[in-house]
Amino acid sequence: MGFLTVLKKMKQKEKEMRILILGLDNAGKTTILKRFNGEPIDTISPTLGFNIKTLEHRGYTLNMWDVGGQKSLRSYWRNYFECTDGLIWVVDSADRMRMEACREELGVLLEEERLAGATLLVLANKQDLPGALTSQEIKDILELDKITTHHWSVIGVSAVTGDKLLNAVDWLISDIAKRIFTLD
Amino acid sequence: MNSQILDDCSLICYDFKPCTDYFDQVIGHIEDIVMEKEFQSLQKSFMDKYCDVFEDTDENKLIYMEIFQDYTQIIEDYIEKQLNERMGSFDMDKFAEDLRLKRPNLDGEIFDLLLSLFDFVMFKEMILDFKAEKEGKFNDVQLGIIVTKLTEFDGSFMK
Ligand SMILES: Nc1nc2c(ncn2[C@@H]2O[C@H](COP(=O)(O)OP(=O)(O)OP(=O)(O)O)[C@@H](O)[C@H]2O)c(=O)[nH]1
Ligand SMILES: [Mg+2]
Repeated sequence: MGFLTVLKKMKQKEKEMRILILGLDNAGKTTILKRFNGEPIDTISPTLGFNIKTLEHRGYTLNMWDVGGQKSLRSYWRNYFECTDGLIWVVDSADRMRMEACREELGVLLEEERLAGATLLVLANKQDLPGALTSQEIKDILELDKITTHHWSVIGVSAVTGDKLLNAVDWLISDIAKRIFTLD
Repeated sequence: MNSQILDDCSLICYDFKPCTDYFDQVIGHIEDIVMEKEFQSLQKSFMDKYCDVFEDTDENKLIYMEIFQDYTQIIEDYIEKQLNERMGSFDMDKFAEDLRLKRPNLDGEIFDLLLSLFDFVMFKEMILDFKAEKEGKFNDVQLGIIVTKLTEFDGSFMK
């Protein structure tokens, strides 16, 4: 065990959570992050690196990490796993062509040891688009019911209208809080 | 009831005195270590090597994270090595356990300092500050040269 792990323990007392936002490119990760942070969302371009925002919400400090989702960037995701309390997996619900890839990439993450302790929140994003799959359909396609290793939930949202985003984050926070802040 | 708790508490504190001493010892050593020239030049040479890669933009490049992870590893190794040298052997588990128990009374400064060594956002700020200072000095030097030349030129022109 190194200092990092020790520090992580100290941080838990400070009601701080680390949230990692991943998903295929164009899913809406950065839009969601900026939306949370109250920034304009009309000039967002594909992420080639990563963004960090620190938000205060319901008495918790959330450190949110958003990493670019293009295929060539996915091998770097591993650098961001450490100390993650919550994983937000963002899905473009209207992108039916790539659901298979989406399921596979999520499957890889769920096998990752360093994410073993993280709560999983699947956001079925872009619900405002006419062709969007429902959260129920996303759940079936991604085979979420098969997950036994993580606490998880799937919620249909729209980063553009903001619909259900807050509910979703509230669920994530309370699930993490239940797991890590009640141990002492 | 209250006195019972107090008694238990003082008893526990007494029994574990060597334990809290250990914690204070470690913190004391860490404070010493990070104040020393050797540590600061380690930090400086690292920043000097990589600061050109960093830019003050909202989105971070992927390479920043790799550099940061290198940095954390180097700092961690250095502090642990120093602690081992100074304390005979350093027991991280014991320190961690003490920290867990003591955290509410831990004073802000050392906590901030430890955190700053391992926090990406603080690391990025530190390296950008370093870069700005380095470039500032560089510009001062250039400015100095220009001024000197002008004076010389003026001087010879006057003759
Ligand atoms: N209609 C609609 N469009 C959205 C929604 N969320 C994001 N978008 C759009 O989808 C596109 C991609 O959004 P980004 O936030 O850049 O996606 P990303 O997941 O960060 O993509 P990468 O950075 O490449 O990984 C943008 O044009 C957004 O405006 C949504 O809820 N509804
Ligand atoms: Mg993005």
